[in-house]
Amino acid sequence: MATITALKNPSTVAPLDNYSPGPRYCELIGSPENRNRHLTALWHRLQQLELQQLRERSADAERELFTLGITFTVYSDRTAIDRILPFDVIPRVITAADWRTIDRGVKQRIKALNLFLWDVYHDRKILKDGLVPSDLVLGNSNYRPEMVGYNPPCGTYIHIGGTDIIRDPRGDFFVLEDNGRTPSGVSYVVESRHLMQRAFPDLMHGFEIESVSEYGTQLGNKLLEVAPPGISDPQIVLLSPGVFNSAYFEHVFLAREIGIPLVEGRDLFVEDDKVFMKTVSGPKPVHVIYRRINDDFLDPEAFKPESVLGVKGLMRAARKGNLTLANAVGTGVADDKAVYAYLPRIIKYYLDEDPILPNVETHICREPDALAYTLSHLDELVVKPVGESGGYGICVGPKATKAEIDICRDQLKANPSNYISQPMIELSVCPTLCADGVEPRHVDLRPFAVTGEDTWLLPGGLTRVALRRGSIVVNSSQGGGTKDTWVLKENGA
Amino acid sequence: MSSLLSRYAESVFWMARYFERAESLSRVIETQTSFQRGRQDNSWGWIVALYADEKAFAKAFSEATAENVIRYYMAYIDNPGSIQSSIRSARENARALRPMLSTDMWYQLNDFYNRLFAFGPNDFSEVRLSRTCDAIKRGCYAQIGVSESTLYHDETWPFFKLGLYLERADQTSRLLDVRFAQQATGMARDEGHYDFTFWTILLRAASAYHAYRRVFPHDIDPREVARFLIFDPRLPRSLAFCLGEIQAMIEFLRRNCGLKNAAPAAEQAEKMIAGLEAASHDERLLENLHTFNDWVQLSLIGIAEELGQAFFGYAQTPEAAPTPPAAKQTQSQTMAAR
Repeated sequence: MATITALKNPSTVAPLDNYSPGPRYCELIGSPENRNRHLTALWHRLQQLELQQLRERSADAERELFTLGITFTVYSDRTAIDRILPFDVIPRVITAADWRTIDRGVKQRIKALNLFLWDVYHDRKILKDGLVPSDLVLGNSNYRPEMVGYNPPCGTYIHIGGTDIIRDPRGDFFVLEDNGRTPSGVSYVVESRHLMQRAFPDLMHGFEIESVSEYGTQLGNKLLEVAPPGISDPQIVLLSPGVFNSAYFEHVFLAREIGIPLVEGRDLFVEDDKVFMKTVSGPKPVHVIYRRINDDFLDPEAFKPESVLGVKGLMRAARKGNLTLANAVGTGVADDKAVYAYLPRIIKYYLDEDPILPNVETHICREPDALAYTLSHLDELVVKPVGESGGYGICVGPKATKAEIDICRDQLKANPSNYISQPMIELSVCPTLCADGVEPRHVDLRPFAVTGEDTWLLPGGLTRVALRRGSIVVNSSQGGGTKDTWVLKENGA
Repeated sequence: MSSLLSRYAESVFWMARYFERAESLSRVIETQTSFQRGRQDNSWGWIVALYADEKAFAKAFSEATAENVIRYYMAYIDNPGSIQSSIRSARENARALRPMLSTDMWYQLNDFYNRLFAFGPNDFSEVRLSRTCDAIKRGCYAQIGVSESTLYHDETWPFFKLGLYLERADQTSRLLDVRFAQQATGMARDEGHYDFTFWTILLRAASAYHAYRRVFPHDIDPREVARFLIFDPRLPRSLAFCLGEIQAMIEFLRRNCGLKNAAPAAEQAEKMIAGLEAASHDERLLENLHTFNDWVQLSLIGIAEELGQAFFGYAQTPEAAPTPPAAKQTQSQTMAAR
């Protein structure tokens, strides 16, 4: 690195002067054995900025996010406080070759998951063949008997999928989780890019980066593909819980990008098993609903009767074939953390292929051997409750205190089938602007896949960064931020 | 046929109303700051009377001092009619409407909102109040301007303008009632109606001073000032002007957007215009101004009610509306639109 540092004025601090990623894979400079791998050009360019300058431009960027209202809102009785998701200005870069692997791997998983869901809600061959335990699926709280025998258009259940991917110290990718219910975060992917284009055009100059602006068009087209057959000009809407939902900004973003109305439950009603929205010229038919409301709250007639967010009769309309819900109801049975452990077998069963993106080794604590192993290795393992999301309830053994491990052990013994465990993987890091300068911080990646007749992947995805030093929990609810994610075109660097 | 959601129509209508309301309120407060200059009496109580807020105000403050009234109308969040509350309500409606708004509108509004809520006690002090009111007025102008120049002019637009002009008409009629409110609270002595300073300030509050001068170069005649603010079809804040716009927008909905259910609202507007025409022949209008203003307020409520029933779904889905129809009160919106 000496040659690069020598290029600038030695009296000022360049951002990466003291940067040291340790024994981890760095998204900018590669693996511990082979640093300085592919992104020297970007390194160089970052080094030409002064740290102070980087800070100022970073503050400008965050201010802009605030004024643009790219925020989530925390409401209390009297006040509404807008917060932005912390945004780190140093981009995370993915090479064309790495992206090819991710693209193929995610498509493979989505395909297998959709086939699995069809099977679960129809013939249940995979359960009868004993590849996945029946009770794990049929006894799952996200299993929806209402979906049995229902044929979703194109056989697609998961129209919008988000796959959480991590990287180990050698630089190999692993899937940590498949999100097949209502994965969020895609708006940050697109808005972060637009922000970077305005705030750091000089940093991007000369790199050939895949565009992320096509997402709305692609998703809109996929949703048209799955509209109920025989409708000449299907009406798509996005159903949001409303302004008080923390992801409301994203709902607005998506509705605008797809060019469809953003509705709330009270804007819709069902009559004769058909769905209508209330407009100034009276009721208008609705055919496809991209819903950002969980199954439980979607239809008080079918699920939680006390729900005021949903619409009475949506399930009836769907089952009659008058409405397509995206994602379909009941997909939670496929993205469950316990079912996840079986995914390599599921892929093999339906596609006769090996997984392109492997799972992290997973111990299913409902199985006695796995439980015994987990209990005796608690200080090495990450223990996760299967039903939770948002990074809650996780015990990271190597970083936990003795007291935390004791609590974890008690919970595990009390209800083993609620848990899985995985070895702790030292996640890859990315240079990140922190209080004391640019430091390595752990990142993951969530690419978004949209599926109608087939699957399209947004080139890039949400890079979440754990802003606390040493933390590997990247969820926004736990102090995570985001970065712009660049997928380079072939020969793009 | 239009597929504008009823909820959006209602939100855009109220968003515009709240901008206009905040702007008008800052005019009224500015009027008082000019009015008290060089006078001994420094009563602000009439503003409370003007908005019929006596009861609510008494709960918040014991005395209608300048400081209290300013605080109550500028920055008191528990007063749904304060400027900060209005802009917050405008923004909440805008948030619900966000899919329909241009990015420029939303950016401008956030910028304005953040500045408004950064104002501190200093900005409401006597020395800076005028400047603060001015900044608020400008924020509202910018908002209306950016809407005019960047909002997609489908059916959303007539609802925006309907909200704007209904509120403006309402506020102009309140301005005309200031004298009455002042006398009722014992602030203005009965100097007949001739109080040169007062009527000049009133014209300025409506941004109508120079226009009036051009039409009546010789003197400030209270009778003419009142008639000017009510009947002049070229003055953007006159009742006649506002009603003309309201009628045109309702027509636009009916003809261009094919919304037949606009008919009852059109009828209401026509009735009100006929009423204005009749009032223009009233020799004792100035003496009867308060009664006339009451009629104006009720007529405007009538139009808003018809719009609510025809387009916002007040009457269509009574079971879905947890709160009573908003149009019943001109002062605040139903929570259902949040």
